Amino acid sequence: MASVNSNNSNDSKPFVVLREVSKNYFNFRALDNISLEINEGEIFGYIGPNGAGKTTTMKILVGLISDFQGEVLIGGCRIPKQKEEIHKLLGYLPQNVAFQEWRTVNHALTTFGRLSGLTAKQVESRIPEVLNLVSLSDVRHKKISQLSGGMTQKVGLAQALLHEPKLIILDEPLGGLDPLSRHQFKDVILELGKRGTTILFSSHILSDVQDVADRIGILSRGRIRQVGTLNELKTRMSIQKTIEVLLSQASDKWQELRSLRDVKSVEQVSPGRILANLDANANADEVINDLIQSIVRLRIKVRGVTLLSPSLDEIYLKHVQEGENA
Amino acid sequence: MKLSLLYFDELKGFYKSKVMLFLWVGLPLVAVLFRFIQYGSTGQAISFTVISALIVSSLAGNLAAVMLAVSIINEKNRHVYELFLIRPIKRRDIVLAKFLSVYTCVAVASLIAVSAGVVADYLTANAFPATILNDTVQSLTISLSMVAVSCSAGVLIGIGAPSVLVGAILVLYGGNQISVIPLVPTMLNLPEASLFTVGLAAAVAASLLVGAVALFERKQF
Repeated sequence: MASVNSNNSNDSKPFVVLREVSKNYFNFRALDNISLEINEGEIFGYIGPNGAGKTTTMKILVGLISDFQGEVLIGGCRIPKQKEEIHKLLGYLPQNVAFQEWRTVNHALTTFGRLSGLTAKQVESRIPEVLNLVSLSDVRHKKISQLSGGMTQKVGLAQALLHEPKLIILDEPLGGLDPLSRHQFKDVILELGKRGTTILFSSHILSDVQDVADRIGILSRGRIRQVGTLNELKTRMSIQKTIEVLLSQASDKWQELRSLRDVKSVEQVSPGRILANLDANANADEVINDLIQSIVRLRIKVRGVTLLSPSLDEIYLKHVQEGENA
Repeated sequence: MKLSLLYFDELKGFYKSKVMLFLWVGLPLVAVLFRFIQYGSTGQAISFTVISALIVSSLAGNLAAVMLAVSIINEKNRHVYELFLIRPIKRRDIVLAKFLSVYTCVAVASLIAVSAGVVADYLTANAFPATILNDTVQSLTISLSMVAVSCSAGVLIGIGAPSVLVGAILVLYGGNQISVIPLVPTMLNLPEASLFTVGLAAAVAASLLVGAVALFERKQF
């Protein structure tokens, strides 16, 4: 199996299951034997470079692609056999959401609400709620073709939320949004997560994934490279441990920190910013303790001492590069 | 239930995007204009009703096929269908709703055009053209049968063609020719030819629609 540590650490039951799923477009292998489980009520961030297979995975899950190998289950129903059952459970925002040009926001939401099984009365009461949630109440009767790209994206989110689905799949939902809209979008995702909705979303903006995802999956060249919480990914990653020391007053005494146990090298990367790189097996807490004692002894004036941990960007780059080299 | 929802939704779309206006006003207008041009050039006045029926039979099928093919290709290429296909509806219903709505629009436009011809004849000649009414009803029936075939060909081409340009070419090459098939009983002077024409048109249209639905079912979006 191509998945790496794909099980969640908590006890929730998996709502979305992909087992050894592969998909070819002629000679191009878009997905290569991927396995993944997403638990009920979990917000799962799916990241990877362009062409990694994120959209293909999502299209398989929503039933838009049905000729694939492997097994896909959503809420116990099998794709593509029980597609209609699954479609009652899910809301989907495609990467390039598009509506017929003549539709107003209200008309689009009414149609999609009715097609999702809501009664006319339910649709009438849900539309103001979802429009309020995505801050679009004032454009309810406007034509979608007259709205900006960001607003159209919000209408796309509104149609995905309208029928209160158990699973929401969002393909690059934050692309093309201004910072305020991105913030609002993230709030909506977090709010839905609190209500127990299972969410799978992909993004290129890693800080956004970091902000909202309970777990993250890194995909590269059609294979899942890593799955886990951000902390799990950081722990698993064998990036050199580094301690950052910020001096409040210029001094050359920092060079004496080189003699500390388990410190491999010390360098001043910019005026007043010292980085101490530790040996691979060093206990960072003990080194920090020794370092602080030395700073006090040497009377070096410092503003702060921080153990640098790899960011999601670093983790992402490492695994994507590994994938590219594989 | 979902089919009727989709059908009325499509009709609303044609209404809102002014397609209905152009069809329902345009077709009778073209008939009236053609009548005056014909009268001016030949000096012989053919009744408005006959001209309208001629215009309907020559234009309506093409209009319907082009409308359907272009609209489907456009929506397909813009990924509009994705939001429909992820809902608990049958793909078949999307195709049928499209076919039925365009057929309704064009059929109503044809009826308006011919009715306008009858009214124009009444107003200009101050007489009801009873002698030609029977022929007109018959030719309208044949025209609408041909429109049904053109519509189903338009749907099939729309689903299969990769671009609007290819679709338009295929409609002009193929759709137009296929719609002539229902005329075979009339050409062979069979008894009850119009009845055979309707039956043949229904069979051809149904076959093309089955093919279109099968293609749409297999399509990966």
